[in-house]
Amino acid sequence: MNKPDESTLIAYLYGELDAKETEKVVKYLNQNPDVEKKLQQLSDVQGILNHVEDQEVIAPPIFMDSNKHASRFWRSSYFKTVMSIAASFLVLLVAAKLIGPEIMYSNGELRISFKEQKQIEKPIEQATIPSITSVDVQDMINNSLIKNNEMIATEWANNNKKIQASLRNNLSSNSAKIDELMKVTSQASQDQVRSFVASMQEDNRKVMSDYMQLSAKDQKMYVENLLVDFSKYLQEQRKQDLVFFQSRMSSIEKNSSQFKQETEQILSSIISNPESAIKKVNNY
Amino acid sequence: MAETSLKIAMMHSDALVSRAREGDKNAQGKLVQVWYKRIYNFSYKFFFDHDMAMEVAQKTFISMHKNMEGLQDVARFRSWLYTIAVNYCREELRKKKTRRSVSLHDLKPGESEESYRWEASSGRNENPEKQLRHTELSDLLQICLLELSDEQREVVIMKEYEGLKFREIAEALQISENTVKSRMYYGLDGLKRILERKNITKETIGYE
Repeated sequence: MNKPDESTLIAYLYGELDAKETEKVVKYLNQNPDVEKKLQQLSDVQGILNHVEDQEVIAPPIFMDSNKHASRFWRSSYFKTVMSIAASFLVLLVAAKLIGPEIMYSNGELRISFKEQKQIEKPIEQATIPSITSVDVQDMINNSLIKNNEMIATEWANNNKKIQASLRNNLSSNSAKIDELMKVTSQASQDQVRSFVASMQEDNRKVMSDYMQLSAKDQKMYVENLLVDFSKYLQEQRKQDLVFFQSRMSSIEKNSSQFKQETEQILSSIISNPESAIKKVNNY
Repeated sequence: MAETSLKIAMMHSDALVSRAREGDKNAQGKLVQVWYKRIYNFSYKFFFDHDMAMEVAQKTFISMHKNMEGLQDVARFRSWLYTIAVNYCREELRKKKTRRSVSLHDLKPGESEESYRWEASSGRNENPEKQLRHTELSDLLQICLLELSDEQREVVIMKEYEGLKFREIAEALQISENTVKSRMYYGLDGLKRILERKNITKETIGYE
């Protein structure tokens, strides 16, 4: 038997082999004392290892029953924080009730006041009301408005005068300048027009003569070309005509020669066999 | 000790698990009572540290409570629970590695008088000398266990102390059964060498 591998040996050592395999291993071990010794040593190690003792430990009480979960809930930090927040709100509410603050928001201004604040505000209103009536205030406003209007009117009139004067000055000076400028420009423009017209005429004449010369040349060239082309065309035509004429002539020649041959044949046949020929002729 | 509590656990487990899965709070509570010690001891052996073991045990049972409805096969509850525990153990291990700083307490566990281990050992009604020796040996072996790689340690603890079948370990770790067995083999082999180096043999501990 082959040497059993380590897996088999270790399974044998822990008695996890079936009877057949065990028998094989025992047989092998009997024949191989060195392997048996090795196994014995491992078994000794097992024996020594058994001296390690278990530590005593008490399992913590987890998952006991639902009541315990409930009691835990009361002690949980979450519950505590919620309760503390609620309690502080309660304290705030009670304090607010006792002190009685008043919070107002009007005309973009936030007022937080306690009860005494109102008593201070009232006497001020009472002091101000009798001294000035609404009619007085109206009069004062009207007076100041009238004064203001007068001031504005005078100022406006002054400004108007100043502006008109300055406008007039500006206008007169500007028109004088413009007249001068106009005169200068008109003089200049007459001279310029004359010279321009003269130059224009000259240019025109030049252009026209150039054009005429050029066109005359072109026409000459064109006519020459035309004549050459026409003569070429005539020559070509004549050639073609001649070729045509020749071919016709040759065909006529052929026909006449053929005709000649045929007549010769007929004649020869008549001569050689006059009777049949006569018959043939009659048949025709 | 472990054997008896395991037997009790096994007796109740299937019925308890199916009731707990249906949302029975009492059954879930009992499951915690039955399994807490096992999970705590599993992670204690994994870290050799009380605080981390407590952390892992608590997280494991909170996760169990949350995911109980997702458990499909009642018979696989054991490997399912250890899967959760192993995952939290690995998470804690990662955290510990990233933390980098190590307290003096971690370096020499059980040395100071205020240690929980000192309190834990005080309650036994045996003769004090034997008791002390026993605790010392237990701690010594724990330190040997810590020298194994994480993968081998998981398997060795599950097999040797939690008594899971190789098939169950494979399910819990989501690896093949052969891998589990070979890890176990090399784990034991490694432990043998570690124990030899520390001069702990059958003879030296069994002399009394």
